[in-house]
Amino acid sequence: MPTADVAVVGAGLAGLTTAVRLAEHGARVVVLAKGNGAIHWAGGPLDVAVAPGAESPVAGVRELAGRAGHPYALLADDVGPAIAWFTDLVAAAGLAHAGSLEQPFRALPTGLGGTRPVALVPESQAAALDPWAPDERLVVAGPAGFKDFWPRAVAASLGHPGTWGRLGHPDRVEGVAVELPDLAARRNVNALRISELFDEPGWRRSSLDRIARAVDATGGGSLRVGLPALLGCKDHAAVLHDARERLGRPVIELPIVPPGIPGIRLYDVLRAALRSRGGRLLLGESITRVETRGDRVEAVATSAASRELVTRVGAVVLATGGLTGGGLLGDPDGRLVETVLGLPVEGPPIDRWITGNPLDPGSMPVAVAGLRTDDELRPVDPTDPAAGARFENVRVVGGMLAGQRYLVERCGDGVSLASAWRVAESLSATPPAAGSRSGRRAAATGGSR
Amino acid sequence: MAATGSPGVASTLDTSVAWDAVVIGGGVTGAGLLRDLARRGLRTLLVDRSDLGTGTSGRYHGLLHSGGRYVAKDPSAASECIGENRILRRIAPFAIEDTSGYFVATPDDPDDYVERFADACAASGVPCEEIPVPELLRRVPTLNPRIRRGFRVPDGSVEPWSLIDANVADAVALGSRALAYHRVIGFDRSGERLLAVRIQDVRSGSVYRVMTGQVVSAAGAWGGQIAAMAGAALKMAPGKGTMLVFNQRMTDAVINRCHRSSDGDIMVPVGTVAILGTTDIPVSDPDEWEVTRAEVDRLLDEGEKLFPALRRMRLLRAYGGVRPLYDPGETGSQSREVTRAHVVLDHAARDGISNFTSIVGGKLTTYRLMAQDTADVVCAKAGVRATATTADEPLPGGDHGQRYHWVGGRLAAHEAEGGGDAALICECEIVTRAMLQEALERHWPCSLDDVRRATRLGMGPCQGGFCTFRAAGAMADHAARVSHDPGELGGMVASAMSDFIRERQRGTQPIAHGRQLQEALIVAGFQWGTLGLDSLVGEGGGPDADG
Repeated sequence: MPTADVAVVGAGLAGLTTAVRLAEHGARVVVLAKGNGAIHWAGGPLDVAVAPGAESPVAGVRELAGRAGHPYALLADDVGPAIAWFTDLVAAAGLAHAGSLEQPFRALPTGLGGTRPVALVPESQAAALDPWAPDERLVVAGPAGFKDFWPRAVAASLGHPGTWGRLGHPDRVEGVAVELPDLAARRNVNALRISELFDEPGWRRSSLDRIARAVDATGGGSLRVGLPALLGCKDHAAVLHDARERLGRPVIELPIVPPGIPGIRLYDVLRAALRSRGGRLLLGESITRVETRGDRVEAVATSAASRELVTRVGAVVLATGGLTGGGLLGDPDGRLVETVLGLPVEGPPIDRWITGNPLDPGSMPVAVAGLRTDDELRPVDPTDPAAGARFENVRVVGGMLAGQRYLVERCGDGVSLASAWRVAESLSATPPAAGSRSGRRAAATGGSR
Repeated sequence: MAATGSPGVASTLDTSVAWDAVVIGGGVTGAGLLRDLARRGLRTLLVDRSDLGTGTSGRYHGLLHSGGRYVAKDPSAASECIGENRILRRIAPFAIEDTSGYFVATPDDPDDYVERFADACAASGVPCEEIPVPELLRRVPTLNPRIRRGFRVPDGSVEPWSLIDANVADAVALGSRALAYHRVIGFDRSGERLLAVRIQDVRSGSVYRVMTGQVVSAAGAWGGQIAAMAGAALKMAPGKGTMLVFNQRMTDAVINRCHRSSDGDIMVPVGTVAILGTTDIPVSDPDEWEVTRAEVDRLLDEGEKLFPALRRMRLLRAYGGVRPLYDPGETGSQSREVTRAHVVLDHAARDGISNFTSIVGGKLTTYRLMAQDTADVVCAKAGVRATATTADEPLPGGDHGQRYHWVGGRLAAHEAEGGGDAALICECEIVTRAMLQEALERHWPCSLDDVRRATRLGMGPCQGGFCTFRAAGAMADHAARVSHDPGELGGMVASAMSDFIRERQRGTQPIAHGRQLQEALIVAGFQWGTLGLDSLVGEGGGPDADG
């Protein structure tokens, strides 16, 4: 029977980073996931905290930490070290970030023709952090015929100064659709396929040259080029380098409708980091049941390809992504159900799940639902938190944590990373008890296998 | 519209010509009237305050009645239904999915109704064949295994918008016209005659005075409002019906409870989905109502008697329509008790207005007969002797019927026609870029919701989550091609998206649970989170908002 010091359930940002960090501490980790997590939908920026009056993420974290029941009330001090560790980890694999927690928010244009506040972004979006000069233009360019990016519509919407809020905006915005080699013959081309074409040096160079000519044709002067976020997948750094060189302008990758190539790049790097540290990642594994004894989960059973796999575990980390990820389910009778262990859930009553103006991100109060925890992120009964943790060896990370209004507060990535960090430290400091020799060994040596 | 080769939904109007007749209301009845009158030689103008098929016609459950639902209570309505059912299969096969239907007796249904059902069908001329229960459960395995009896009838599923389009296209070919987004705001009356209809282009605000010989109201539940403007008294008894859309066809045939019609007792497979209907609640204003969670629960409770696993199936949305019911006695009875039959009201006798006629009541299946009966009255007034030909002449739209809908069928048909731009704008409903472009050209200027009715865009599981931006992008490109006002594009794109998102979410709010709640949050996650939708359409949104 397979065993693991820690089984992490869920392969999104929170689950993968928890697993990598635990593996760095020497734990034998397995990630069990039903499928790919929401990281495959990510557009690039790391969302840490946005709050009224907060000019930067660090101020946002401070503000949110003061709200009763917010995960940052527990995790505020973990945000800094977690972000530093994470950005170093992915930078070492070629995915550098720009900006910081102290960076004042700037407006990043998106492939929808809107903007969003950012302060910590991948290198490909770094140019969005610089203030716009008085006469500076933005030229939005994209592959002609690509259904998920419409340069004319994007430019038209971004041409409204109101779209940029008070965070500064370009003087003018223009849109150009560029015929790229071979795409016209493809019936239903998607972002992933185009990003893979950019990974090919020959295709990339001729495409970038065509884009450069189309951009130049819009006129001279100071400008930045906005391109859909699909500048390479496996070889992104080289694509970005070539794009900057051949266009001769600052380039901004604009997030687009999923799949999110910037998120897939992170996923690939995190998966490789996990494997290189001895961890395992099993996709297509739905949890079918768990074995418990007293206040411990002893094993988790998963099913894939019609056979059951039982993994004996020292600890379990729930990284199942809340309602979005399927870690919570709202049933027709108004119950919010935690889908792996059946733990009690904190959340609004059914008549307050979705309410109000559908054009307001605050119209989904149900998004705040999740598990209430103790300081070590062990789930407790939200109606009786003083009774303590139901399971001594279960931890909760990311979107499963109650109290985040992440659609409004833009705190999802920060909570994921800070909780992953906290849980990894916590589980490494207090190794799984009885029955798990490997857990003790990992804690004792602190190194990799 | 003529500039883009439209088949008939006009957006400009020459008021120097007088029409033989003006039909008010662009539902399927109005469209049928437009066709019938045109075929009898009357140059007719159809006006609707919104897009065609946005009222009750576009908001019903999709059932092509066999008549089985009326055999016990209203045998003459049943006879009309089966007669029209046969005619529509002949003249509009393109709009019909030949699903067939079953009446099934659950343990809750009364024995005497079940015992008499087959005889009642025979008396009304509705073909009915008893199917042994094991065979029925083999055909529809998701049915309640405690079903006691089952009867097969020629129910079907019908797509209203293509039916409306075909009726309009046939009339336009004969010189008649249809104007969407033109609201009637009054009449010019002289003595016993209405001389002209005053209409307003709701998009531009322009007001027109349209001279006409005859005025016909096919405004359905809104008929009372139109009559009042003309100075006639007409009291409608609108009844709201709520329906639930499931993202799967748990049955390929229509399933009816074998009992006296009630809430939540019919499931109709329509395209990629199945629709559970309906509730029946009297409303005072056909524009003021909402779907509540309590109604949704009631429908699910009843629907579970047919399909026990219903609550575990994924709900896409809830929507409502308002039945154009007319209570001749104006007794204020419950709307399910009000007759479903249609009535042609000649306002000459009732109200002293010689050239004004209203058609009230009825149901989609009998729209053609309703139009024919109304046109008979109108033609008699106009001194036209021609008789109806609509039962025999096929509608334009092709002779390809469908036994069962197949989601890949659209793509296969598209490729059989040479392919073209098959980039999928809406993956749920297989709407290609070429189909979207064609709809934009036909209906321009239009909203994304108009495009939805023409293509089914955004009607599948994600409810517009992915395709809204794409369609808005295509719309911006189209607008830039046909008009020359790039300065307005940004606002147009934003309002096109916000209108569509608002309309789609209206239907998901009361049913958001299970996988559809998850879907709503996934879509919200990338629309708001990744893409900053709030900066475009939010009210008081933007980077520093904390709604």
